[in-house]
Amino acid sequence: MKRRDQQRPGFSLVFWREIAWLRRRPLLLMLTIALPLALMFLLTAILSAGLATRLPIAVLDLDGSELSRSIIRAVDATPDTAAVLHVAELSEGRHLIVARKIRGILMLPHNLERDVFAGRRPEVVFFYNSQTFTVGNLVLRGANAAIPTVAAGIRISLRTAEGQPVEEAQAAITPIPLQTHALFNSTLNYVHFLLAALLPAVLQTVIVTTMAYAVGLDVETRHRFTALRRLGGGLLPAMFGKMLPYTLLFLSMLGIADVVLFKVLELPLRGEPVVLVAAGFVFVLACQFIGALLALLLRPVAAAVSIATLLTAPAFGFMGIGFPRLGMNHFAYGYGELLPGTWYLMARIDQTIRGTPIDLSWKPVLVLIGFVIVLVGLAAVRVLAMRRSNQGERP
Amino acid sequence: MRVLLAVFRNELSRIFSLRPVVSVVVIAAAVYALFYPQPYLNEALRKVPIAVVDQDRTQTSRELARQIDATPDVSVAKVLPDMPTAQREVYTRAIFGILVIPQYFERDLLHGRVSPIALYADASYFLMYQRMSGAVTAVSRTLGTNFEIARLVGLGVDPPVAAAATDPMPFIPVPLFNPQGGYATYILPAAFVLILQQTLLIGVGLLGTMPGGETAAEDRVGARLSDRIFDSIGTVGGKLLAYLVVHALIVSTYLIGLPYLYGLPRLGSVVTILAFALPFTLAVGALGLVVAAIFRRPLAVQLVFAAIGLPFFFLGGFAWPAEAMPVAVRWVAQLLPSTLAIDGLVDVAQLGASLSDVRREFLGLWLLVAGYATIAVMIEFSKRRSAPAVAAPA
Repeated sequence: MKRRDQQRPGFSLVFWREIAWLRRRPLLLMLTIALPLALMFLLTAILSAGLATRLPIAVLDLDGSELSRSIIRAVDATPDTAAVLHVAELSEGRHLIVARKIRGILMLPHNLERDVFAGRRPEVVFFYNSQTFTVGNLVLRGANAAIPTVAAGIRISLRTAEGQPVEEAQAAITPIPLQTHALFNSTLNYVHFLLAALLPAVLQTVIVTTMAYAVGLDVETRHRFTALRRLGGGLLPAMFGKMLPYTLLFLSMLGIADVVLFKVLELPLRGEPVVLVAAGFVFVLACQFIGALLALLLRPVAAAVSIATLLTAPAFGFMGIGFPRLGMNHFAYGYGELLPGTWYLMARIDQTIRGTPIDLSWKPVLVLIGFVIVLVGLAAVRVLAMRRSNQGERP
Repeated sequence: MRVLLAVFRNELSRIFSLRPVVSVVVIAAAVYALFYPQPYLNEALRKVPIAVVDQDRTQTSRELARQIDATPDVSVAKVLPDMPTAQREVYTRAIFGILVIPQYFERDLLHGRVSPIALYADASYFLMYQRMSGAVTAVSRTLGTNFEIARLVGLGVDPPVAAAATDPMPFIPVPLFNPQGGYATYILPAAFVLILQQTLLIGVGLLGTMPGGETAAEDRVGARLSDRIFDSIGTVGGKLLAYLVVHALIVSTYLIGLPYLYGLPRLGSVVTILAFALPFTLAVGALGLVVAAIFRRPLAVQLVFAAIGLPFFFLGGFAWPAEAMPVAVRWVAQLLPSTLAIDGLVDVAQLGASLSDVRREFLGLWLLVAGYATIAVMIEFSKRRSAPAVAAPA
């Protein structure tokens, strides 16, 4: 008690009180350090491969000709697919797909070779499971790349057989060749696309719920709440003194995740690191004040934590990474607009893989700053209202 | 048996009398059912806006742009004069792709030369990339084929022969299940399983950490070892039975009602789905008892499990193939009921698999039930030993 008299109330007093508090509460420490690190580590381990290659497919080769074998070799040679086994019947393959032993079946019909060269246009059919979206699309991409290539070879040989020179035949079979360039993430790496977005998304939930709890501890009992304000010597110093230790902790967690992403998993950093850090800072603050506001509005703490979970746990879907926001209905689009994570991920994608020019980079950062200003304002209004009602109740 | 029934009754009444439990198990489940699917309800991503940089400005180049705009996947939002302008539009996310039609596109085509076009597609959002490259590839192939056929026919080749020469071996991709490739159809069945696990896990975790769970213990004076073992088993059994009863309604809503409501295709029979859901619910309930013993405080359960859903979802091997995960991660994933249940329930409901098709997952879940229930019984037993005969009446 003595030390408190010696120190002048203000930001630093509250700040150090909070740090001492953190050290005495293992749950808070776990929530701010161990839990985010563990969850981010787990996600990184899951997606660390970045690319899913050589997904197994089966072949139903009813022809057994030179041509059918060359098709199988071509499909096996794509990075996406590997022809791992032969099946004798379609139903057998279907069972294997359901059991996830294989991801697709390539069916080469009877007399394929004979019919191709007789101009009878036999069909090569590829069955794949689009219930598992990502995998289905990957094996389809593999088959889609391999089979037209084989077909192109046939078309060229049909023409050269007629006496056309090879080069001329090559030109003639694709009058409009399309060169597709993947902007920004040219290898279509899932680490750079998905993992880089998942880590902040997990952190968003952790920050909002943890702050709902940490602030809730002060709000729950009236004397603690008044003590906090008196120690701060004012509303804003008290508020930021309370929040800043967590800001630093969560920023460190984000920093650790980013070091792993940039240094180990080779996420490119094509934009301005300053903008990225600034965006990270306001993102963490915005999440913190959402949690704080919930704690100020809802009691008991458990209710604030519940609502914080309800609002942020399903948030990843609303942030438009897997399914873009462009395709969402109005409600989902609007809800995404209100999540700090949506804007932070935009800033993040801009500054990492995209390398957005600096004059086009500010919008998400400014929106996040706007969030913080509004949330701090709301929290201040709420605290003042609570003080008034507290004083009103006093005898 | 007496213990089992007493615990069952007590637990059942606690589920509905403890507000935090009701709000997680019932209210949160109801809110998620409406809230979670919202982003995906349009099923497909349509009309991704792209820009055309038409340096040719001819009949044919405009026809190409028109045909691309006519596809359901892509819309030509802008016609821009040059690449730098178009690139800035990509950076502002006004458009997501640029189609460049070079000068002399039409002239080269008419002269029988190769006339390439280029698509620069934003790959920072994979679904957009896939839509754009798919649509533009298809259009350019079709248009190219038409030109090739026209040329061959011009040379005096019979039209059917010309068609065979341009496409001697048509490639027909056939999607099994989810034929429209709908995003909601893909993600919701798996997500529903995960939501069930999360809400039940947190609910049971809260029940186990809030006061009132021990009342039914009513230790007998001088209880023997065998009595204590049977009481522990009865207690765990009674609790699991209570969760099963309460969750039966929620599980059937999530696995049968919601898919119907959201128009998701269902091939499997209701009976098979519910039969599979039984070990899933029991496994999650038993895991919840273990979770409660580990965390000991209701708030700790709530806070730790708030953000864990997302990693659990990806562990399921559904959004990201298990083949691409490190082996150690795959083993850890098998310890979660959700991993086996997502595989099994999606197979049964969406792919129409029978129980024998998914026996690996089905038996795996029963193994998890046995494993977690045994741990729960051991925890219960040690609790009884450490606090023997609480108040032997004088």
